[in-house]
Amino acid sequence: MADVSVPQERIVGPQTADDDVLRVEHVKKSFGPISALRDINLHLRKGEVLGLLGDNGAGKSTLIKILCGFHKPDSGSMWLKGDTYAPKSVLDARRHGIDTVYQDLALVDQLTVYQNMFLFREKVKRPIPFLANHIMKKETRKALEETGINIPRIDVPVARLSGGQRQAIAVARTISGDADVILLDEPLAAMGAKEGALILDLIARLKAEGRVSMIMILHNYIHVFQACDRVSLIQDGVIAFDRPTAETSVEELNEIVVEEYRRARQAAIAEGERAARAESNGA
Amino acid sequence: MAVASDSTPEAPPKGPAKGWAQRGGALSLAQRFLTLREGSIIVVTLVAFLYFALSTDKFLTSGSLKALLPYFAPFAIMAAGEVFVMINAEIDLSVGAVYLFTPFIFYKLNANVGLPLIPAMIGALIVAGLVGLFNGLVVSVVGISSFVTTLGTLFTLSGLTLIISHATQVTTPGTSVVKVGTFAQIFGGGTYSELFWAIGIAIILQLVLSFTRWGVYTVAVGGNRVGAAEAGVRTKLVLTRNFVLCAALAGFVGIIEAVRAATTTPDPSGANVILFQAISAAVIGGTLLQGGSGTVIGAFIGAIFLGVLQDGLNIKGVSANYFYFYLGIAILIAMAFNTYVQRVRVGSGRG
Repeated sequence: MADVSVPQERIVGPQTADDDVLRVEHVKKSFGPISALRDINLHLRKGEVLGLLGDNGAGKSTLIKILCGFHKPDSGSMWLKGDTYAPKSVLDARRHGIDTVYQDLALVDQLTVYQNMFLFREKVKRPIPFLANHIMKKETRKALEETGINIPRIDVPVARLSGGQRQAIAVARTISGDADVILLDEPLAAMGAKEGALILDLIARLKAEGRVSMIMILHNYIHVFQACDRVSLIQDGVIAFDRPTAETSVEELNEIVVEEYRRARQAAIAEGERAARAESNGA
Repeated sequence: MAVASDSTPEAPPKGPAKGWAQRGGALSLAQRFLTLREGSIIVVTLVAFLYFALSTDKFLTSGSLKALLPYFAPFAIMAAGEVFVMINAEIDLSVGAVYLFTPFIFYKLNANVGLPLIPAMIGALIVAGLVGLFNGLVVSVVGISSFVTTLGTLFTLSGLTLIISHATQVTTPGTSVVKVGTFAQIFGGGTYSELFWAIGIAIILQLVLSFTRWGVYTVAVGGNRVGAAEAGVRTKLVLTRNFVLCAALAGFVGIIEAVRAATTTPDPSGANVILFQAISAAVIGGTLLQGGSGTVIGAFIGAIFLGVLQDGLNIKGVSANYFYFYLGIAILIAMAFNTYVQRVRVGSGRG
């Protein structure tokens, strides 16, 4: 019986550029017996928007959670703006200038727009630390105005707002801080075309300013080509593909994903045959 | 359209948003008042008050109104602490037991250890706070539900109270049957002492809830615990300090009630009645068990409602059995109304 030949798995090795703000090399992470990230190599250049694609369970969110300080990697190294980067917590990461727009948005329905905008960054008066609501409202209006988002009232609970408006507030909250690396976990999830366009506009404007660099998890290939300078594809815990969006196409990305399915299927068949052979030898 | 840029928050938004504001302005004043968190309970309390005032001629006497005070002031203080825990989407069932336990610690520190009155009281309040600290850490760090945790502390402390008191009542330190001293005047013995404490504590805690980071984080942890943590809020700290606050207030009420009565009585079933009345005051006052919403002022008015109901029924000579019957109905109506109001206030425009 002939062995089924299994093609080589695609793994992108460590890559660098002169103007990197963030660099990740050989990062691994397991949860018990499940290895979520096997070997992640990634870099982010200053002012760049990097799109992160990958199937459910490929490891996108785990990677984001390692970058934002929520999880610690089992092994591997990270550098931020030239220094070794090993965040102890989300707060520590934020102090280093990395902030995140979570998939669940981290908004509190019962709090108002401005309270959410300033959650954990509240401004208080002196000497009695009462909340300086007036200042926070003013700055919220200013921040929302700058982002061009239409929120008619900022003193209503955010539960009253639409999905797009809520997303916009979460994004505006993060970008109005002083983070220079922003991670966005599926910023366009569960959003209408119009609302999605609003967020993409916002990201394009932010990119034009050139101050921040962004990593964005996306599902839709079209969005990647609209918004990103470069695209990385995560497959089964490794970065399988990494290229500027100008040098690739939806077809190529599709082909790689299909190829990976074919490879995984052949690997499974080969594994099955090996097991069957082992069984017949034993009998 | 740009966001309204007027510096006054009350200024109507410009442009297309105007329609929204006009619709909001068209809401009748009455409906606005009723959809205030406290609006409904204010109306219900006034109705109960008027009913008793009109149906008996003894209700609106100063003697009757003074008799009403102990029926509400202790619950108002305990409910204020419970509100903070309940906004966190937790519950503290141990407040009745802390209420029972703390005055005995006060007694032991004064009579057996020999501490003066004020240090003994502070010591007892610290012990009460430690119970809250234990509750808070078990709930937030170990992750056991607050219902189970505080049920455990409830029985443990009730039992401990019976053990250390040998199930006998004692004379509360600083009190005497013949003369009400300065200490007793201030801490529960004076006619209006408990009322002043209740009003002062309610005002301070409502300010904390509405105008400080503590308050915002309390709502955030109750409304979206994961989200609050992602934003950086130290949710375990927020939870724990609210349990400490709640237990310390329950201990304080235990002491001032013991001073008022001049005797400290180890009566666990009485303490459990206190527990449920404190929670009732919070719930009737608009605090939701699912967290994220509630006010101290609401709980204060809820406690007044309980006091009016109890005093009024006493004066009308209605059997005490009816008190619980009416209380039960009042809670059910309040809950139904609050759920409706909550839906109108918050959840409507979600797309």
